Amino acid sequence: MEALFAIPFSVLELPNIKIKKPSWLQAPSAMTTFSLVLFSYFLVTGGIIYDVIVEPPSVGSTTDEHGHSRPVAFMPNRVNGQYIMEGLASSFLFSLGGLGFIILDRTHNPTTPKLNRILLISVAFLCILVSFFTTWIFMRMKLPGYLQN
Amino acid sequence: MVTSATLYNIMQFLNITIDIRNVCVFLAPFFSSLTTIVTYLLTKELKVCDLAGLVAAAMIAIVPGYISRSVAGSYDNEGIAIFCMLLTYYFWIKAVNTGTILWATLTALAYFYMVSSWGGYVFLINLIPLHVLALMLLGRFSARVYVAYSTLYCVGTVLSMQISFVGFQPVQSSEHMLALGVFGLCQLYAFADYLRYHLSPANFELLFKALLTTLLATLGTAVVVLTVTGKISPWTGRFYSLLDPSYAKNNIPIIASVSEHQPTSWSSFYFDLQVLVFLFPAGLYFCFAKLTDANIFIILYGVLSIYFAGVMVRLMLVLAPVMCIVSGVAASSLLSLHVKDIEPKVEKPDKKKKHENNLVFRSEVGAIFVCVLGCLLVSYVFHCTWVTSEAYSSPSIVLSARAHDGARIIFDDFREAYTWLKMNTPEDSKVMSWWDYGYQITAMANRTVIVDNNTWNNTHISRVGQAMASSEEHAYEIMRELDVDYVLVIFGGLVGYSSDDINKFLWMVRIGGSTDRGAHIKEADYYTGSGEFRVDAHGSPTLLNCLMYKMSYYKFGLVYTEGGRPPGYDRVRGAEIGNKDFNLDVLEEAYTTEHWLVRIYKVKPLPNRGL
Repeated sequence: MEALFAIPFSVLELPNIKIKKPSWLQAPSAMTTFSLVLFSYFLVTGGIIYDVIVEPPSVGSTTDEHGHSRPVAFMPNRVNGQYIMEGLASSFLFSLGGLGFIILDRTHNPTTPKLNRILLISVAFLCILVSFFTTWIFMRMKLPGYLQN
Repeated sequence: MVTSATLYNIMQFLNITIDIRNVCVFLAPFFSSLTTIVTYLLTKELKVCDLAGLVAAAMIAIVPGYISRSVAGSYDNEGIAIFCMLLTYYFWIKAVNTGTILWATLTALAYFYMVSSWGGYVFLINLIPLHVLALMLLGRFSARVYVAYSTLYCVGTVLSMQISFVGFQPVQSSEHMLALGVFGLCQLYAFADYLRYHLSPANFELLFKALLTTLLATLGTAVVVLTVTGKISPWTGRFYSLLDPSYAKNNIPIIASVSEHQPTSWSSFYFDLQVLVFLFPAGLYFCFAKLTDANIFIILYGVLSIYFAGVMVRLMLVLAPVMCIVSGVAASSLLSLHVKDIEPKVEKPDKKKKHENNLVFRSEVGAIFVCVLGCLLVSYVFHCTWVTSEAYSSPSIVLSARAHDGARIIFDDFREAYTWLKMNTPEDSKVMSWWDYGYQITAMANRTVIVDNNTWNNTHISRVGQAMASSEEHAYEIMRELDVDYVLVIFGGLVGYSSDDINKFLWMVRIGGSTDRGAHIKEADYYTGSGEFRVDAHGSPTLLNCLMYKMSYYKFGLVYTEGGRPPGYDRVRGAEIGNKDFNLDVLEEAYTTEHWLVRIYKVKPLPNRGL
């Protein structure tokens, strides 16, 4: 059997290559992957796919009574349409709110110094409340009848 | 349908006489209550936090993204499909956690139920192999996963092939190749582990490398040969457009035209999910912090569904359950941390004093956080109930609007027109309309339609599109070829109804021009010189003389619609129409409803004498 396997190698010569996996190639840590996921969440909820397919303008424009064109931030009266800037602003707020909750969890171990803990907790609450109220206001601006009968 | 029939028969057997129509109407809400229970079980099985299950179940009970597809009366596949999908996932997580054949077989049975209910099973049969692959790459592949996946793949695939729609696709189409590949990889991985256990290290290295290279070579050539010879069919259009969203826009206009298939904007996310979009990143963080086999599955499911929901609004339905699960995990983890703080324990003396001092204001922070989260969840409830009542509770065939003095006006034009068709036309007459109204005409007017919502035959729909977009003479040839007796159009210009056929007209042009016989129809002809779509005097002559224009605006030029505007002012397009007095040569007006919403025309027969 050995003789059979040795036949090709009487003609061919094995190249002497040493291939090793490069040492800097490692599996990413859990938190690195999480930050990548959070970044992709920011992009997708900002409606980037909508932007690429439908190609809306970055901000809209209307003409007022005197004929000047004024910029319009939010595409009105439609839930399924957006301008690019409003999408990115809103998804930034979504991610900010998420980060606020994450900070609240990270500050909950006994080893953080007192001042850091107080500052971080206030920043976290600020993030959560500001992002929640701002998105609420954005939605009111987009759909005038939001949360009213 | 089998589900409704089974339920109906069971209830008849128990002498609970409920009419089959009521069974069908209430099937979707019934299954969504079952979904709530399954969500609770699934979240509990993730074992991230004890009470996450209850929070997740409470959230999915009212989330608008899911309610939109499970209202009473919506008798579509998704009503049961989401329940089947979550059931399959629950059994899969149980199977991965326990590694018994019983749970894996139950997963396969649930998968079979899923395949029989919705074409979206392709998502499942790609997500589960991706999960197994991720576990292999992270070094978490164990005997439990091996048993679970092998059983699931074998039993599940054989069961799914029993459905005639699926047939032999699991071994022939690219959408199922990942599952097959991962199955093979599982066997190889387990075999390699077995060899490693029995051989000495040096022997094992040699054998492993030799086998690996041979296998990769043969597999690579096999896949290339099979794809090139066409034995493995490539990804079908509707799934390929999920991977490459611009594909449908450029190549298959009929898929691109459906409004549910449009990409999602930020406001759709917020409208359907509200506070969950803030809790979702936090929940993912908790899953990443404590990685287990089950958590990796939820992370994969979450990330993939976010992407797919971004591509297509309709898939927001698939995102809603995982959003609820992950947000439930986040909310309950944070709450359990902070609620414990509100009542501080009696502190043990000296040893712990050094550390405890840093956690100042514990009870205050805990109380504030619980209040804030409580308010957010209460606002979530208000938002969900408002959205459900305003956006997802209206019947779609009777429209209503509020006049400026607050009185409610009802537009019952659709039923008026369909009843007219049913009462006043011969029973064998054929009605041509755009495919959106096909099922309604078939069911309520009881007449044959040329194309309907099944959209099975693209060439046929394209022919109808060509008829709508061509001039009267050309359209008459097409109508005689299709043997059409009546033509129906929806016109919203009098009342301001914006989902009418003129607004959909460009899609008719694109679909009509997408086949060979419609090559003379070019979208650019219907725009003005400056590239706008206008129906007034500046509009393109091709548009102002096509059949759809003439059918919508016949005798509209004599009607006053708004105070201070000239006659023939179209309230949807906001313009006075360009071509006002014309006569129809090949059609005659049969019926126009009260608010001009539905207009029916009779196709004139060929003239009796030549010339």
